[in-house]
Amino acid sequence: MSILQSFKNLVRSRSIHVAYVDVGSCNGCDIEVLACLAPRYDIEQYGIYVHNNPREADILLVIGAYTPGWEDKLQGLWEKIPDPKVAIAIGNCPISGCVFNRPHSYVNPPVSKHIPIAAQVPGCPPRPTEILQAVLSLAPEVFKDYERRKR
Amino acid sequence: MIGSIVSYIREFARREWIHKFFFAKTAPLTTPVYSRGFPELTGKTCTHALFCMMACPAPGAIEVIHLEDGGWEPRIHTGHCIRCGLCVEACPNGVLYSGRILESMFYDNTMLSFSFRIDVDTDRCMGCGNCAVACPVNKTIDAQMSHGGRASTDELLLKVSEGKCVVLHPEKCTGCKTCEQHCPNEAIRVARLLEAVHAPEEEL
Repeated sequence: MSILQSFKNLVRSRSIHVAYVDVGSCNGCDIEVLACLAPRYDIEQYGIYVHNNPREADILLVIGAYTPGWEDKLQGLWEKIPDPKVAIAIGNCPISGCVFNRPHSYVNPPVSKHIPIAAQVPGCPPRPTEILQAVLSLAPEVFKDYERRKR
Repeated sequence: MIGSIVSYIREFARREWIHKFFFAKTAPLTTPVYSRGFPELTGKTCTHALFCMMACPAPGAIEVIHLEDGGWEPRIHTGHCIRCGLCVEACPNGVLYSGRILESMFYDNTMLSFSFRIDVDTDRCMGCGNCAVACPVNKTIDAQMSHGGRASTDELLLKVSEGKCVVLHPEKCTGCKTCEQHCPNEAIRVARLLEAVHAPEEEL
């Protein structure tokens, strides 16, 4: 392994940039993601930064049951994120639609039909520790030796 | 002069302070014991009462599976389960546990009770008797019931008399909704009533 690659690995392990997008949830999971930023859980001490800008994001947190308003937007948002990138489904809604997935409702879950989802965090809402654990355990799998694996 | 500068630096450049500044971490967060996680099995025998599935508010979150050795077992589907704990409270046998729900139910002396109300829309009912014939409770009481739903005994849950469906003993209903599925006119409706009861022994 080249020195440059190991240096990149070192830097990337402490610099994970996260954007979150709410595609039609009840805001419960949004609150749990925001709770990760608060001092009790303090996501930044692990080198995870929430910017909410897809252009500089590595990880996209998808929240919500995919309402029709997102049909032409989520795909474009996913393409704006530079490689290497992953999407994590937060909560029950992007996995199954949860309580919104009733007959005659307009939601269109799961979100994995529309963009590739790498990990799922079930719960309604999931605990902040579970979100944190998902981001931390997925990040090295995706970002470690990225250039070497791409070749 | 120099001595005071040295003592000043020594006072503020303590090793443990610098270490804390660069390597600060909150203590590893553990899930507290009172947290309601996904329900887990206690190991008690499931009697297939299906109260967990009736109480569950999330679609497709819990299923009672027929095992190969003949027993039954509830399965929780993560991704559907909202961790409300109603299945844990509703189970009459204590098959599931989650957090401290079972303990607090024991100390507070609370329980969930089910009752069922059967409504027959007499304008829509045409007295075909499909509901009375399909009803599994009726089958155990009067196995000889013919088509048309007419019977001589009054011990049945529901039967047809004078061209209309009549509910005789709604307290015998188990809430299976088989009658609803077999009604061609959507005339019969079963409502499940879930009640939280406090101190059931004192009331009796």
